[in-house]
Formats: sequence, C-alpha cells, structure tokens
Amino acid sequence: MTNHYLLQATDVELIANLFNYFLIVAGIIFALVIFYTFFYLIRYGAKRRPETPSQVEGSERVELILAIIATTITAVFVYLTINTMEKVQDIPENPKPFLEITGHQWWWEAKYPESGVITANQIYIPTGKKILLKLTSADVVHSWWVPELGRKMDMIAGVNNYMWMYAEKEGEYLGTCSEFCGVQHARMRIRVTALNPKDFEAWQQKQLLPVVTSTDALFLEGKQLFEEKTCTNCHAINGTEFKQNIGPNLTHFASRKRFLADMKENNEANLRAWLTNPQAVKSGVKMPNFILSDSEIDALVAYINGLK
Amino acid sequence: MSLYIDIPEDKEQLPSLKTGQGKLAWMASVDHKQLGIMYLWLALVFFVIGGLEAMMIRAQLALPNNDLISPELYNQIFTMHGTTMIFLVLMPASIGLGTYLIPLMIGANEMAFPRLNAFSFWMTCLGGMLLYFSFFAGGAPDAGWFNYAPLSENNYSSTQGVDYFLVGLILTGIGSIGAALNFITTVLTLRSPDIKLNMLPLFVWMIFVNAFLMLAAFPLLNAGLFMMLIDRQFDAHFFLASTGGSAILWQHFFWAFGHPEVYIIALPAFGIISEVIPVFSRKPIYGYKFVAASSIAIALLSYSVWAHHMFTVGLSNTVNAFFAISSMLIGIPTGLKIINWIGTMHKGSIRLTTPMLWAMAFLICFTFGGLTGISFAIVPITWQLTDTYYLVAHFHYVFLGGSLFGLFAGIYYWFPKMSGRMLCSKLGKWHFWLFVLGFNLTFFLQHVLGVLGMPRRIFTYPDLPYWKVLNMLATLGAVMMFVGMAIFFWNIYKTLKKPRTVGENPWDAWTLEWATPSPPELKNFDEIPRVHSRRPLWDINNPDNPDKKLN
Repeated sequence: MTNHYLLQATDVELIANLFNYFLIVAGIIFALVIFYTFFYLIRYGAKRRPETPSQVEGSERVELILAIIATTITAVFVYLTINTMEKVQDIPENPKPFLEITGHQWWWEAKYPESGVITANQIYIPTGKKILLKLTSADVVHSWWVPELGRKMDMIAGVNNYMWMYAEKEGEYLGTCSEFCGVQHARMRIRVTALNPKDFEAWQQKQLLPVVTSTDALFLEGKQLFEEKTCTNCHAINGTEFKQNIGPNLTHFASRKRFLADMKENNEANLRAWLTNPQAVKSGVKMPNFILSDSEIDALVAYINGLK
Repeated sequence: MSLYIDIPEDKEQLPSLKTGQGKLAWMASVDHKQLGIMYLWLALVFFVIGGLEAMMIRAQLALPNNDLISPELYNQIFTMHGTTMIFLVLMPASIGLGTYLIPLMIGANEMAFPRLNAFSFWMTCLGGMLLYFSFFAGGAPDAGWFNYAPLSENNYSSTQGVDYFLVGLILTGIGSIGAALNFITTVLTLRSPDIKLNMLPLFVWMIFVNAFLMLAAFPLLNAGLFMMLIDRQFDAHFFLASTGGSAILWQHFFWAFGHPEVYIIALPAFGIISEVIPVFSRKPIYGYKFVAASSIAIALLSYSVWAHHMFTVGLSNTVNAFFAISSMLIGIPTGLKIINWIGTMHKGSIRLTTPMLWAMAFLICFTFGGLTGISFAIVPITWQLTDTYYLVAHFHYVFLGGSLFGLFAGIYYWFPKMSGRMLCSKLGKWHFWLFVLGFNLTFFLQHVLGVLGMPRRIFTYPDLPYWKVLNMLATLGAVMMFVGMAIFFWNIYKTLKKPRTVGENPWDAWTLEWATPSPPELKNFDEIPRVHSRRPLWDINNPDNPDKKLN
C-alpha cells in the first residue's frame, strides 16, 4: 500500500521523504570518500612504501565510468525533485486563499477573507484541511516558516505568494520568520494553533463578535486615553471608530495567549512593562515610548485587557 | 629569445625590501612577490578581526535568551563577519597566493601589469578600511552580507553603515577585476616559451579559469552596488517596490555575482590541493586533463545556478526546475574532482606533512559541504531548510572545510618558498587538530540545529529542546578553533625570527617556483630550466624516468 500512502502524504512528509533519500545516497558517497582517504593514507603511507611509486597519470576509462554513475544519480534526483516540487507547489489558477498573512517588522497580520476575521500574531487554523495561504509583506522581506505544517515562503512587498499549509492534529505549532528582517528578526516567531473544525468555527464566531463594552470607569478612561495618546493612529479595533491598520489590530486582544510575535505571555505584568517602555522590552520596535504615568497605564491596561 | 620580460622601470630600480629602500617597499612596491605577501598579510589581519567577530557571535549564542550583545550590535557583527571573511580574507588570500606564485610557476619575472597589480591591492585594502571605518561613522552595515533590499534601503536604515558597505565593496570589486585582468594577461603572454597552455601547473590553471569568472562576476556586483548607492543617496527606487522598483531584482543581481563568487573562492583552493596532493603522494595528478577541463565546466555552469539562492521567493516550478538541474549538474565535475584527488593517492608513497594533513581535511570536509550543497539543489529541501543553521553549517563546510583548509595547505606548503624558513611541523599539527576538530564540533552540530528549526541571523533564541546544549557545544568548538589559530600565529612569529635555512626545493616538488632560491630574488629567474612536461623539476631529478614530452 506504499503508493496509497504516498498519494496521501502531506507536503511535509513528501519533503521529509526526499530528504531521507538524499541522506542515504549522500551518506554512502561520504562514507566511501572517508574510507578511501583513510585506507590510502594507511595503505600507501611513505613508511610502508618508501620507494618511488609508478608514475600513473590516470585512466580516461575510469573517469568516464564515474561520470556516467554520477550523471545517473543526478538524473534520479532531478526526477524526484521535479516530481515533489510540482506536488508541493501546486497553486490553482485563481487562488482563493483561506488565510492572508502579511509580515510586518516584527509581527504577523492575519486575515481570514471568508469569515472576515482580522487578528494579529495569534493564528488559528482548522485541522484536517489543506489551507491556502496568501503571503505578502508590508515592509522588508520576511519568510513564513512553520516546519511541521508546510514549506517556507518569502513575503515580499508588492508580491503575493501562495502556499499550502496542513495540520493533521490539534495542537500548537512553532515557527519563525526565516528571512533576516532587521533588529528584532530573532523575536519574530510564529505560533499556529490548530483546532478541530468545530472549535475553529467557534473561535471564528467569537472573533467576529463586537468588542465587549464596559461601563467600568477605568475601562472608559482607558478608552479615552487610547484615543488621546494617539494609539489610534496605528491600532485598529473592529466595531469601534479606530480603524488605522499600521500596528497590530487589537480587537479581542485579551483573548490572545501571547503577544509581541510570541515573545511574551499576555498577562498584566507583561502588558504593563510593554506600555511603560516598549523599547526596553523589544528594542527597535516601531512603537515609541509614550512616557505614560502609572495611573494612565492602569487605565490603558484595564481597557486593553477588557477587549475580550 | 629572452626568458624574462623587462619591467618598464627596470633602469631606475623599483622600491622593494630587497633594494635597500626598506619600509618604503610596503607602500610603493610593484614587485609581485612583495604584493602577494602583502595580500596575505591583509587577509591575515582581517581574518583576526573576522574571527573575533565570530567569537562574539558564539559568545552571544552560547546560551538561550542571552543579552550579552544588543540586537543592533549583533546584526552589525554578523554582517561584518560574513563580508569580511568573503571579501577581505578568502578573496585576498587566494589572489595573494596567485599573485606571488603565478609568475614563478610559469617562468616569468613579473606580472603583466605590475602597477595595476599594486593598484588592485591598494583598492582592496582601501575598500576594507572604508568598510571598517563605518564603526566610527555611526554604525557598521547591518543588513547581512547579501544586503537584501528593501531592508538595506534608506527607510529601514538608521545609520550610514550600508553606504560604507556599498562603497567599500565597489572598491574591493575594482581591485578584484584588476587582479583578474592581470592574471589572464600574465598567463597568456608571459609564460616561458616552453610552456604550452596544456602544461600549466593546475594551480595556475585554476587561477586562470578563475580570473575569467571574476572578470564576469564582479562587474555584476558593482552594477548592483552602484544602483543601490544611487537608491540610497539620490532616491532612485531601483529596489523599492512601493515606488515601482523590485526587491527581487537586487537578489538577482547579487546572486548572479554571489554564486560564481562561491567558485571564485573555491577554485584557487582546488588548485592548491591539485599541487599538494601529488607532491606528497609522489605521483602526478590523476587525470590532469579531467581536472583542468572540469574547472571550465564548473566556471560555465556557475553562471546558471544563481536562483537556487531564491527558491523561496515564489518563482514558478519551471524556473525552479531549470536552476535545480543546473545546480545538480555542477555537482558532477566538482564531485569527480574529489575522486581524482583520491585517485592520485592510490599506490603512492604518501608523506603526511602539515600541508598534506590540511589537504586530507579538505577532501573530507569539502566533500561534506558539497553534498549538503546538493541538498539545496533539491528544491523542496530548500523550501524547508534554507536560511536555517543547516545552511549556515553547509556554507561553512564549503568556505572553511573547502577554501580555508585549502589555503592553509597552500600557506604551509609555500611558506618555505616565501620566507626561506620552514613552519614548525609540531605546532602545525597542534593548529591542525585543534582547528579541524573544533570546526567539525561547531558546524556539524549546526546541521542538526537547522533541522530542529533554528533560523540563521538571530541574536537570541528561546530555550527549545536541544537548542541550548547544541549551541553550547558549537561555542566550545569555536574556542578550540580560536586556540588553534593562536598557535598558528605563534608558529609564524617564531619561525620568522629564525634564520633562513631552507634550500630551493625542500619538498622535492616539481613546479618552477621550486627552481628559485627561497625566497626568490627580486628578479625571479636569470635562466629558466627547459620545460618539456608538466613537471620540469621531476624530469631534471629523474632523468631516467621523465614524464612524457608535451612540446
């Protein structure tokens, strides 16, 4: 049933198989080179054979045979490469992406065009379904890579790239930006959460709900500060009048487990440290230090943490 | 028939160490031997700087979530490490050996253009100095050695570092083009009349082929660098998508230079190995014609493989397939060369001297780097593993295990010719074992780190399973290499203080440079031995068993 298995193999498995074939052949070649190098060094050492050796200049026949062997191996790998490549990079004529991801210095913007969900960094996908991703960049070149879910693909401003992603099991999958993108490239990590289709649908529905509003005084003060301190110049919150989409969209921010591209756990202490001085937490980020007072931070934390 | 050419200024003696003008020669000499040695010193100085940068990188990465070095500084350090090692160490070291040896090996007294030779050296030197001046001018370049747009453009730069990068590399590029012209003209016009092209020592042949590669590759780089300089200085938008340019265009320019560059750095090492292994196996090279011809194949193919650096930018399957095939093809002549070198040892009488040790390490480590290189020609593997530590490990096996080990073999081999003194072989073996074992410890493990998902160019990493221990071991290997290098410098220092004792031909080698005193006089040859085969000194020393006459 090998064939059946191969037909069903995911992109990641296909690539892993190819890598294993390569390892076997390369391993044999490398072992031969090591063996002959050491064998000749020992067998033909000057101590053992001090006399001047016969001055052989080589054999064209041997060269020819070796060239034929090398070409044959190459031909096999050309076939395997093209075959696998066409299975993995098999993008339809008019691609309709399930998920659109835009790389920013240094966070991920995620849109689900079918449902209209917009979020940042915390990315959810359903299991058991091949997902078509559309990738682009808002600034420099980034590269999307979650090794257990698919290939990597560069994100380039002005270019739309497409790739498939697939999760068989539920769980969290780690990845990372893998094209150098500036100061905080190291902290542009990815965490994709795969949910079963039902839970995924529930998550989507929850994301689509309008943000909770509260009559709590601190919450309202935070909301006002959010506007006054020009947070709204960069951050959007769906269902409010804040629509600028330069920094991460903060709708339902409180529902995210981690923030800053998987750098920090989303809790009050971390949020407080971040608002106190973003540059001290993640130097080089685009968010300036607003030099907020402690009471202002209290209010902003209450507001942002209220965005459930 | 005159056996040497007159240097134009011969009548009014040129300044040189040997003409009593002392230290002035370090500034004003146009003697190819003086300049060759200056290239090597330049490479050595920058090797120390680039090596210290590597140690800083390894110190920072020794532990997860380390904050020894700020991300801003780390990005400058790794950019400068790569740029330095490629353009200011491996390039000048290869060119330096070529400059010193080519006239000697072909029975000439000078390079074809002695002044251009000096100009090339000083351009390289000036380029390197400008590049490093950036540290004092606000900040070094920090966009990586391939300087991808638009990260390298004004909008994303906070310093002038990238400008220094561009101008510095333009200057070293001009130097390299001058050196290439000089090599080609010298080999074509100044050979002893006895020496036909098919009798050239393989080192000369490789440098000759290499010069054509340089001549075509560096103008491409310089064109790209100038375009980016215009972008940065005058807002031309060549590489800015937001205003009609293309970020991918820069990648094409850079890698159309960048991949030939890999072979530009590798071919001289191939040439060195092709001299060292036969001499210490006491046999001629196995398959001279094949080794020579395959270099041409490599040179030609190396122009059609550049996009394998770009398999993840979203090229079509057709384009990917083309570059996959050409990249795999280039493995055939390269791989068969390894078999030729091993074949040379077959039924030889092998003397395991220090240069031969390095040649053996080259064989094994370069093979390894070559094989992992093939995995990057297999497009889907690139889709997973490019820009990870697997890639970092791969190209260090090529650049260190290949080029640098070859250069070490060459330096230990020709040091007696250049200085009249033999490097201490006991210290040489300490250098060898510490460096080679440290190298394998550091970089072999990095393949595993790459497969585990660690991307390159990160100043810190989370404490994921195995990452910490593997990185710590890699740092340990770097320390071993560092100690090995310290022993190498001590060896050079100690040896240079001793009196000159080496005769003309200490290794009992075969090529013409060994027919001159060690070190050679300002004028290389008063008379040249007759040359009838590829191994003139073998023929003289073994009159009863000479090589087949080729002229």
